Amino acid sequence: MNGLIEILLLSFLLCGFLLANSSRLMHCIKLVAVQGFLLGFLPLAVAKVEGGSLDWEVLLLAMINIAVKGAVLPYMLQKAMLKAGVRREMEPLLGYAASGLVALSLIALSFWFAQQLEYSEQVVSRLAAPVAFSGILIGLFLIVARRKALTQVIGFLCFENSIALFGAGMMLQYGALIELGILLDVFVMVFVMGIAVFQIKQEFQHINADLLNALKERPGK
Amino acid sequence: MPLLLNILIPAVFAGIIFFLGKRISAQQSRRLFVLCALLNFVSALLSQPLFALTQLGSWLFLDRFSAPILLLSASLFVWVSIYAGGWLQALDDMSRRGAERDSGFRDPRLFPEHVFLSCTLLFLAAMNLAISSANLGLFWVAIEATTLVSAPLLCFQRSKAALEAMWKYLLICSLGIALALLGLFFLAIAEPTQSGLNLFALMEHSEALNLQWGKAAFILILAGYGTKMGLAPFHTWLPDAYSATPGLVSALLSGALLNCAFLGIFRFTQIMPVALLPSCRQMLLALGFLSLLTAAFFVVRQQNYKRLLGYSSIEHMGILAIILACSLSNADMQRVLLWHIIGHSLLKVALFLLAGNIFLAYGTRSVTAVKGMFESMRWNAFLFLLCLLMLCGSPPSPLFVSELLLVFELGPWLGAALLFLLFMVAAGMLHAGMRMCMGTSPRQESMRKAALLAERLFPMPAVAAFLALSFGVSLIFLLIRTYTIF
Repeated sequence: MNGLIEILLLSFLLCGFLLANSSRLMHCIKLVAVQGFLLGFLPLAVAKVEGGSLDWEVLLLAMINIAVKGAVLPYMLQKAMLKAGVRREMEPLLGYAASGLVALSLIALSFWFAQQLEYSEQVVSRLAAPVAFSGILIGLFLIVARRKALTQVIGFLCFENSIALFGAGMMLQYGALIELGILLDVFVMVFVMGIAVFQIKQEFQHINADLLNALKERPGK
Repeated sequence: MPLLLNILIPAVFAGIIFFLGKRISAQQSRRLFVLCALLNFVSALLSQPLFALTQLGSWLFLDRFSAPILLLSASLFVWVSIYAGGWLQALDDMSRRGAERDSGFRDPRLFPEHVFLSCTLLFLAAMNLAISSANLGLFWVAIEATTLVSAPLLCFQRSKAALEAMWKYLLICSLGIALALLGLFFLAIAEPTQSGLNLFALMEHSEALNLQWGKAAFILILAGYGTKMGLAPFHTWLPDAYSATPGLVSALLSGALLNCAFLGIFRFTQIMPVALLPSCRQMLLALGFLSLLTAAFFVVRQQNYKRLLGYSSIEHMGILAIILACSLSNADMQRVLLWHIIGHSLLKVALFLLAGNIFLAYGTRSVTAVKGMFESMRWNAFLFLLCLLMLCGSPPSPLFVSELLLVFELGPWLGAALLFLLFMVAAGMLHAGMRMCMGTSPRQESMRKAALLAERLFPMPAVAAFLALSFGVSLIFLLIRTYTIF
């Protein structure tokens, strides 16, 4: 047990919790950026704590991770936000106080769930799995409970960051190529979604995703 | 080497078409597009196990199952590329005519044609990568890439419906695929060999898999790739996406992409330990029947013919899941699985291209508004009915053979349930098809001209339908030879 890794993980959890509570989109984007930064920093902290030598491969991946998830993606989201001209999530489908409560119960649920699993010895910290599961659930919750398309993208990023945190926390080996591929996919994803938000704004004059409901089954005549 | 070419050729051509952009005429870029499709077909042919070494390092490989799928999607792409040239030309003609009539005409295209063509080629490259990847992580990256490059294709023609469909497609599929990533991580925990998700190592050491984590991984993968494949509780994006997009995009999505997602689940069943196979079988059966039920429910009295075809895709993905479940206990069913995939893809490509033609002529996707296709566009109507009949599994179709063998395999109770659901789907589809073909067509001048344009686009769907027909006939002969029913 070393304090540094636990502090990183708990800050990640705190960011997720705050995400569920904040109404200003700029604030949400910053929180996701911090999450991305913490995520990129985790392997470095693990290497330092374990006392092993720092691989150049690990270092490079961490740098790219921090750059993309901590800086580039938030920048793209911010640009999409300015272009679409929305600053706040005014009328969420579930109010902020209630959202906070839901987030808390989701966190409790994931800690309970993570206790049921058996782990191998090489886990970074016992906290890694519950924190990752909480992030995954909070991300899903944000996608369901918010109206703006942009908040859904933020929720998706939280979801994706938490899955990556699970991978990093469990010290899984799946090769640098795959990791770069995953990162590239997430990058393009947010890029495409940013463009889509802008186009939706152009066509519909709003980005409320719950009003995107024209396509459905109609009763037969 | 051809394995790498399969991925490089479309990617390089995509770059060429994108960067040449408007410097070459639309005609030239369409020709480049067809050329690339043909080259890709040659390379897919050369990478078949007959001709070449089918493994490249620990990253790419083809086996008996994925090689036919690669060839299938390459040949589909050839027809779609030739069709695309004619279709874009017809769109040009119609928008020129519209612009002559009133000056305030807005071109319905959201982005330029060369971007559309290069996105389609990138889509092909990503699919080829997915089909031939020997590493489950690489497979995941490729599948996610297919979502991203096909999303712009969905809203090529600007409309509110297309944008909505694209948003749902992006969000739901990405969520599903992210779940599949979590499943991959679970798998990495479950396997003790630290092989980096390499398929060969996983297959070799499948018995050493941790059962608890392995089962959780399979559930997540089934939900994740099942979303992309359109299995029932996760199918919601599929009818929306198929109904709002141009015919050739839905043809590619349905004919080629669904197979790639299915391959993901198939690969996962290959690495499961024997102890987990019964529970995998149960889950696949449950999702398969649920998909069939959903499709049967929504196909009857369906008012939109493209949604109708979308639900039929869900139906056939459900059947594929059921055949896969059977093949876990009886390895002979793997061949049936392949037959069903090939038959479904051929017919679905033909039908979606024809649906694109119908939309071009009538400008509506409503079953009730399309009338008298036998009068206005005889060839298209004939092919449409023929393909619908074959898709419902009437005898000379390859789907007839695969569904027949499946019913034999399932036994009386499940077989009867399957037959009943298939009958419901067939009733709904043929009802809609007959309504569209019969009656008297509207007599407006503009519609008649559009119908003439659409009538010229019938050869490519006809090729696909002909191949499906001959494939079905040869399968029936094979069946009679092997089983000697009579």
